[in-house]
This record gives sequence, C-alpha cells and structure tokens, in this order.
Amino acid sequence: MNFRKVSALAGVAVLAFAACSSPGAATNPPASAGGGTSQPPAASGGTAPSAPASVDTSKGKVKVAVGLPYQGSEKAASEPIFNGVKLAFKEAGGGAGGYAIEVPDVFDDAVNGAHDPQTGARNMTTVATDPEFVAFIGPLNSSVGAAEIPISNEAGLLQCSPANTAEGLTKPEFGALDVRKANPDTINYVRVVTTDDNQGPAAARYILENLGKKNVFIIDDTETFGDGIADNFEKYFEENGGTVVDRQGVPKTTTDYAPIMTAAKAKNPEAIYFGGVTATGGARILNAAIQAGLDVPYVGPDGIYDGSAATKDSFLNLAGANAKNSYATAAAVGDFPGREEFAARYKAEYGSDPTGYSATGYACAQVVIDALNRANPSGDMAAVREAVRAAAVDPSVTYTTVIGEFKFDENGDTSQKIISFYAYDATGADGKGDWKFKEQIDFAK
Amino acid sequence: MTSVASPVAFQRRVPFGVRLLAFGAVGIAVYWSALTLFASGGAAAATQQVANALTLGAIYALVALGYTMVYGIIELINFAHGDVFMVGAFIALTFMGAGLGMEEAFGFGLALVGAILLGLAMGLLISRGFLRGRRGATIGVTAVCVAVAIGMERGLGLTSTIANPIVLAATLVIVLAVCMIAMGSLNIGIERFAYRPLRHAPRLAPLITAIGVSFILQNVVQIWQGTGDRVPAPIFPNAQFELFGASIRVIAVVIIVVAIILMYALQTFVSRTRLGRAMRSTAQDQQAAQLMGVDLNLTIAATFLLGGALAGAAGLFQCLYFGFVRSDIGFNAGLKAFTAAVLGGIGNLTGAAIGGFIIGFIEVAATALGYTQWSQAIVFVVLIVVLVFRPAGILGQQVGERA
Repeated sequence: MNFRKVSALAGVAVLAFAACSSPGAATNPPASAGGGTSQPPAASGGTAPSAPASVDTSKGKVKVAVGLPYQGSEKAASEPIFNGVKLAFKEAGGGAGGYAIEVPDVFDDAVNGAHDPQTGARNMTTVATDPEFVAFIGPLNSSVGAAEIPISNEAGLLQCSPANTAEGLTKPEFGALDVRKANPDTINYVRVVTTDDNQGPAAARYILENLGKKNVFIIDDTETFGDGIADNFEKYFEENGGTVVDRQGVPKTTTDYAPIMTAAKAKNPEAIYFGGVTATGGARILNAAIQAGLDVPYVGPDGIYDGSAATKDSFLNLAGANAKNSYATAAAVGDFPGREEFAARYKAEYGSDPTGYSATGYACAQVVIDALNRANPSGDMAAVREAVRAAAVDPSVTYTTVIGEFKFDENGDTSQKIISFYAYDATGADGKGDWKFKEQIDFAK
Repeated sequence: MTSVASPVAFQRRVPFGVRLLAFGAVGIAVYWSALTLFASGGAAAATQQVANALTLGAIYALVALGYTMVYGIIELINFAHGDVFMVGAFIALTFMGAGLGMEEAFGFGLALVGAILLGLAMGLLISRGFLRGRRGATIGVTAVCVAVAIGMERGLGLTSTIANPIVLAATLVIVLAVCMIAMGSLNIGIERFAYRPLRHAPRLAPLITAIGVSFILQNVVQIWQGTGDRVPAPIFPNAQFELFGASIRVIAVVIIVVAIILMYALQTFVSRTRLGRAMRSTAQDQQAAQLMGVDLNLTIAATFLLGGALAGAAGLFQCLYFGFVRSDIGFNAGLKAFTAAVLGGIGNLTGAAIGGFIIGFIEVAATALGYTQWSQAIVFVVLIVVLVFRPAGILGQQVGERA
C-alpha cells in the first residue's frame, strides 16, 4: 500500500519536474523582446545613445501598452511590430510632452498559440483601468480589435493599431458604431494601415493583371478578418472579369486539407486566394495543395506576410520550398522614403530585418509621441489620457512619420491607402527565403 | 466488480472476415460511384478522394482501437488517448530530427524521456510475469528499451528527403518501432500512476483523471515545443502514381497497408495468444479472471501498451501524411476516434476499425460534395442515426446495465 503511494508520488514528481525545469519556456518572449521593460526611463537620467540629448520628463511618467498575440505562429508577425514600437520610443529619447514613457512587456492576446478576442478584451480592461496608461498600440488581428475597441472607447483611451484592416472597426457603414457604442461620436481608435476594402481588391487586381490568371479558388478561415477579406477579394475579382471556381471556408482546427484540395483541383483553378493568417492554416493549406498536385500561384493577405523563412512559425518557415509560387499583399507601405535607412537602424538594434509592420508599429508610436508633445498635458492622469486622445485623433493634423505623411479621417482611418505586393524570393534571408517587395498601389489616387 | 457480458468481440470466424471485406469493397464501390456522379472532377477526383478517405480513416481507426481496448477492459473512457497520439507525433518529429536532448527546452525533453523511461521500467517489471524464466528474452527486451531511449535522445538528424527506397523503408521501420515502443511505454506509465490507484474508486474519478492527464500532456508539449505548427523532416518523397487518372500519393498507400497490418496483428494477438486470452477474460469478468490465475495488473498494462503503440504509429503517420504537428491536434483526433469507437460498438476491436474508416469516408464525402463546413455536423448526425437503430454501435453487443 505504502509502496503504491510512494510510486504514485514519484510519478507526480516527474511531471512537477517537467513543470519547473523550463527556464526558456516557449511562451515567454526571448530576452531581446523583453527590452520593453528595460526601456531606459529618462527620469533616471538614462537616455538611449541615439536619442536627443535631453528629453524633458519633469512631469513624471506615463505608460503605453502594446497588445499583440505573442505565441506560436503569430509571434512571428508580432515581434517585429513590438520591436518597431520600442525603437520609436527609444529614438525619441524615451519621453514626450514632459513625461517619461514606459512600455511594459507585450500584453499577449493569444491563447494556445492563436489570437483570442476574449483575452484581448481582458488585457484592454486591465490597461483601461490603470490610469497611468495613456495609449494602447495594437492589436494585430481585427477580431481582437472588435473585442477591444468597445472597452477602450468607453475608457476614452487612445488606441492605434499597426495592422488591423477590417472595415467594420472604423467605418459606420460597416457597423463601426456598434463597436464604439459607448461614445460613437468620440474617436479613440486609429490605424495607420488601410482597410480590407482596399487590400482584397488589390490582391484581385494583382492576380488578374500582373499574374494574368482568370480562374481562382478561394479558401478562407471563417474568421472576421479572413472571411471579410475573401468577400472583398471575391467581389472585385468577379466584377473585373475573373471567375471564382469555388469558395470554401475551413476553420483553423482542421487537420486534413487533402479532400478540399482534391475537390479544388478538379475545378482547375489557375490560382488560389487564401483569406486568413498563418496561424489559421496559411501554410498547411499551401502544403496540402502542392501534395494534391495543385501547383498554382498562391496569394494571401498580410496574414501570411509574417517574416522570412528564418523566422520560427512564419508562413515561409512552415511552407518551406512549397512557397516558391507565393504572393502576399500588405496594408503597410512597402516602399517609403528612407526605408533602407530605417531597416539599417532596426537591424543594428535587433539583429534581424524589419517587416512592413515594423514600420507601422514605429509609426503608431510616433503618433503617440506627437500627440503627447502637441497636447503638452498636465493635471491628473485622466486629463492627460483625454488630452492625448483628443490630440491624436484630430483630423486636421498631418503626421510626418517613418512611413510618410498622413492624416486620420473622421473615423480614425488613415489617408494613406497604399497596398504593397510581396513575392517569395528564395535568395532572401541569406538563402533561406524571404518576401521581396514588388510594387505598391495607392488607392488614394 | 460485477460481471459484464463481453464488450470485446473476440470470436473470429472466417466467414465474418470475408463478409467484412466484401461489404467494404461494395461500400467503396458505391462511394466511388456516388462521388463520380455528384462531385466535380469525375472518376479521377473520386478515386483520389477514396484514397484520402482510406488514409484518414486508417489514422482514426488506429487511435480508435486504443479507446475501445481500454474501455473494453476497464470501462474507462480514456480521454488522454488523443493526446498520447499527439505526443507520438512529436516523438516521431523529434526522433527523425535533432532528437530530444538537443531541443531548446532541454528539461522538458528530458522530463518526457524520463516519463517514458519510467513507463519502460514499469513495463519491464510487469513483464516479469510474461517473460518468467526466460532470461534471454528479458535481457533482449531491456536492450531494446535502452536502445530506444538512447535513440530518442540522440535523434536521427534527418533534414531532407530519402531517395533510396531501401534506406527509406529501413528508416521508417525504425521510426515506427521507436514511436510504438515509446508511446506504449508512456501509456503504461499513465495507467500505472494515474489510473491504477483509482481502479476501485468511483468511476467519475478516473474519468476526471483522464481529462487531467490530457491537459498535462498538452501543456508539457506546449512548453517543450511551443504552440505553433511544427514541420517534420520531409523524409518521404512526395511521390505519386496514376490510378484511373488520379495521382495517388505513395505515402497514403504505405499508411493504409501498414495500418491494416497492425490492426490484423492486434486482432490475431488478442484472439490467439495467452495474454490475449487473459485480456478477453479480464474484459468479461475481472474477478473470475483473477480467480483463474490471470495477472490483472499485467493484463491491463498490456492493454495500455498495445493501445499506446497503435497511437504512436498513428502519430508517425500524422507527421508523414499531413506534414505538421501541433499541440492541440490530439483533441480533434481523440474526438473523432472516440466517436469511431462508439459508432463501431465500444469495446469491439473490429467495430473501432470499421468506425474509424466510416468517419474518414463521411468527412471526405462532405468536403468532396462542397459541404466542408458541415463535415463535423454530418459525422455526428450519422452517429446519432446509427445509435438510434443500434444503441450499442454497429458491432456492439447489447449490454445489461451494470448493478
């Protein structure tokens, strides 16, 4: 009897050992990403080397939250954004408007490796109830944005997304008034990327004109973003002379894509359009298509534009050689003046190449810094938060950022409506394979 | 323990096997004709879908056998079984790749090896009864276990496709053996530490424990390997051959053939060997079996060993066929395999295999006909319809309510 108990305890001990012996637990950001917490607060006199000589921090400290999915496949997309944000604050001297800016570690809105709206909402509640936070940068995914905006709107907290593209988050005609229902007339959410009613059509235009393909198979991940962008794509593609041979919605938990690809192949599409992100099946679908003998151009939105093949969990990393015929759109500006110089500064800091969304993350941080400087607030933290929000969303202000000049419209959308195209380049990232910028379309013109 | 009519059907009559094969052939022919008529792509696409369905069904069937065996012998719905399959897939991935010892989260790989080694040790202790008096065999088993442990730790270090068919076949046999031994051992360990202490507890206790083990396995793998997709070394070439205009992947044929061999071997083992007879008698009446000299612990451990080994094989097939592994794949596989076991008649080996194939065929048909999003619903509608007419499943026997 005793022996049985002892041996059972031994078994438990093995599992407990398993739980304790993980210094490098995969869910924790690596040391380099933890740099956010070591952001030198100017109050302590420590400024970044490249920073202006001195930044006035006499009024104390404010905090800026960054909320992104920081696990699994999505970390590949998020880490370059967080790095971009940190770089912007560092280069601004770690302060603005008389306050030192502190950026805590990322608020991770992912659960079990995939973004989760409820977790995002919980994070937003935490941030909104802490008066020291004056702004929130994020999220990555539109579905998370839809859950966070009602909370940040009610709290009057400035939120700037470097990557959300679903129209419904801002535009009243797509239901945005239900999202910001607490204060529908008070804009608190802005974004520096354009929307899916541009990104979807841009991909359609690219397939029709640049790739010259008329028959396409559409597969989406049934989520807010993936389904929405596939709708936009489908509409534009059919209106402009293309034929959609079939469209299937496949949830992210799917294991076996072979039957879907066999059925798709029977319809002889000349290209595949995927609406979704890497974490919801981007690479698995491509791999299954190749295995089923459906070897045609594979085009996806910014959800699969998440870093080079050297980046763990990225689309290119998971697809490997199968990515040879892959294309991605990105709502981020691909080509902006000073891009190479920015890339060099980024690489010097983090040792890796930036993605298109590193620059948008940087731009979001610049919006926050600019708003703090212009508002030059004082008083209690509630007043500071409101002053920053009002200054940031002012439609008359033209921002000069790393990605160029833009204004926010009355809904918080950027005036910069540029979609970039990327194609797989096997020689990129030192021969491992990377996205290569091809061209960009400006929908504002 | 009170008596229960045998939930495991063990009578194998030749006519039944022949009937089964004939029934399967007719079923596939009808299925193929229906897809040819109603799905786009005609005969070629239909042939390819049949191959897809057979492969998916074979993987479900292997996992379902583990559910049904454990239920047959201790009436426990082993919810951790889907995750044993998932761990098996990760063991296949790491063994083909850099090995457990070189993984970044070293401690976790080590802990997992530790758990498996512990299971191996348990298996050895238990096998005293089985290998009684045969020292050579005992030494042989010990040597194999040590070799497996060292092999898992070092890994094969494969990164690319193996072109030479003989080398490829040898590699696959080794990987298959390692996966099966490792997962069989892990399953013995789980039984020893999580289920055996609760063998006489109220039934709800081991059920909840099984759910707990499922989460423990998932979390250990998440911390060890992360939560994203992992891509195994593509050791099997993406070779295809033409059949009725369809291009069938060679790997699919390999999986189907190996799975059927494994299922046949299991059936033979259970119906022909001494230990198999002990398993059948334990399933019928634990107390009476014990009185007749059956070593209960040995028999139950052997059941878990076999179930785990089949899940390990299925894990390798997941790597080879689907080309990715993730910490949450055990849930879907477990759910489908459990459904397959219930559909076929839980406790019945042939039933579980048939159930696995049926679910594979239903899922693929739903997709082929353009109802991808409905495939889950269709599977369960079929399950409900079958249970309405045959409450014990297709091959299950009506069992009186236990006192």
